[in-house]
Amino acid sequence: MNKQSMNLLLRVGAAAAVLGLAACASPEKTPATAAVAVSHNAVDNAVSAGAPELAPEEITAARSKMMQANQALAAKDYKRARELAVQAQADAKLAQAKANSAKATAASNALNEDLRVLRQEVDRANSDQQ
Amino acid sequence: MKAHFLKSAIFASAVLLSACSTVPTTTATLDEARADYVAASNNPQVAQYAPLEFRQASEALDRANQAAAKRESLDTIDRLAYVAKQRVATAQEVAKAKTAEADIADASRQRDRVQLEARTAEADRAKREAAAANAQVAAAQQQAQDAQAQAAAAQQQAAQLAERSARLEAILVELHAQKTERGMVVTIGDVLFATDRAELNANGMATVRKLAEVMMQNPDRTVLVEGFTDSTGSSSHNKDLSERRAQSVAQALSSLGVPRERVAMRGYGEAYPVASNDTASNRQLNRRVEIVLSNEGASIPPRAAAR
Repeated sequence: MNKQSMNLLLRVGAAAAVLGLAACASPEKTPATAAVAVSHNAVDNAVSAGAPELAPEEITAARSKMMQANQALAAKDYKRARELAVQAQADAKLAQAKANSAKATAASNALNEDLRVLRQEVDRANSDQQ
Repeated sequence: MKAHFLKSAIFASAVLLSACSTVPTTTATLDEARADYVAASNNPQVAQYAPLEFRQASEALDRANQAAAKRESLDTIDRLAYVAKQRVATAQEVAKAKTAEADIADASRQRDRVQLEARTAEADRAKREAAAANAQVAAAQQQAQDAQAQAAAAQQQAAQLAERSARLEAILVELHAQKTERGMVVTIGDVLFATDRAELNANGMATVRKLAEVMMQNPDRTVLVEGFTDSTGSSSHNKDLSERRAQSVAQALSSLGVPRERVAMRGYGEAYPVASNDTASNRQLNRRVEIVLSNEGASIPPRAAAR
C-alpha cells in the first residue's frame, strides 16, 4: 500500500464523516430528500404514461416544482423542499391519471365505433339475405 | 342577581370567543378544493373505481381544513388546499379511466357476441344454400332418371315396333305380297278355292289366317278384298263368283277376329285380268282374289279404269 492510496482512503473517510455529521445535524434533511425522490419517481411514471402529450399543463407544473424543490434542497431549505416535493407529486399523479384516462377513453371510443360499424355490417348482411 | 348577571356575561363572551375562533379562514383555492370534493363524493364512479385516491384526497382536504381552522398562514392553507384539489382531480381521473376500461371490456364482449351472431347467421345462410343446392341436385337427378326411363320406354317401344314390322315383313314375304302404289297386295290364287266355288280350301284358310294375324298386329291398316275370274262363262256368273269369293275371304277374316269395318270387298268378274285368257294356266292366273293391305293409317285408293 503506497502513500497515494493511503491519502485517498483518508480523504474518503473524512468526506463520509462530514456527510454523516451533516445528516445528524439536520433532522429535516432525510424526509425532504425522500419526498423529492418519491416525486421524481412520480414524474417519471407520468412521463412514461404519456403525460407530456396528454396532460402537458400538469406535467409542466410538476417538473417546475421538482426543479424548485431541488433548488431548495441545495439551499438546505428542507421544509420548503418537502412542501414543493409534495405538490410536485400531486401534480405528477394527476398528470399520470389524466394521461391514462385520456388513453382509455380514446380506446373505448374507438372500440365503440368499431362495434357500431360491425353492427351496421351485420344488419346489412342480414337484410341483404332477406 | 349580580352574580347571575356576571355568569351570563361570562357565558356570552365565551360563546362569542368560541364563535370567533371557529369562523374558518378560507381561501379561493380551499373553496375550489371543497367544491371539487363535493362533486367527487357525488360521483358514484369515484366511490366504485377510485376509493384509495378519494381517501387520499379526503385526508389532504382534512389537513387543509385543519390549517384553516387553526388560522395558519394563507400561504400554508393555499398550499395544502392545492394538494387536496389535485388529489380530488386525480381521483376523478382514475375513476374516469377505470370507467373507460370497464366500457372497453363491455364493448369487447359485445363485439365478440356480434361477431358470433354474424358467423352463426353466415353459417345458417350457407346451410340453407347447401340445402337448396342439394334439392336442386336431387331434382336434376330425378329429371335425369325420368329422362332415362322415358328413353328406355321409347327404346322398348321402338324395339317392339321393329319386331312387329319385322314379323309383318316376314309374313308378307311368306305370302308373296307385292308392293304397289295402293299398298301391299296378296294374291290368293284359284288353287286355294274349290273348283268354281267360293269356299276356301285348307291352304286358302291358312293364307287367310296369316293375313288375319297381320291385321291384328297392325290395327291402323285396313284391307280391300277384290275378287276376279277368267273370261269363261257369262259375265253375270263371273261377277257373281268373284263377289262370292271376295265375300268368302272377308267372312273368313272377320271370323278370325278382324273387325268388319276394316274389311272392304268388291267383285270385278272378268275385269282386270293379269294374263290373256288364251291358255288354261293363264286363265287360272286370272281366277284369283287380291287382298290389298293399306299403308299404315292411309286409305286404299280405288282401282284405275279398266286395263
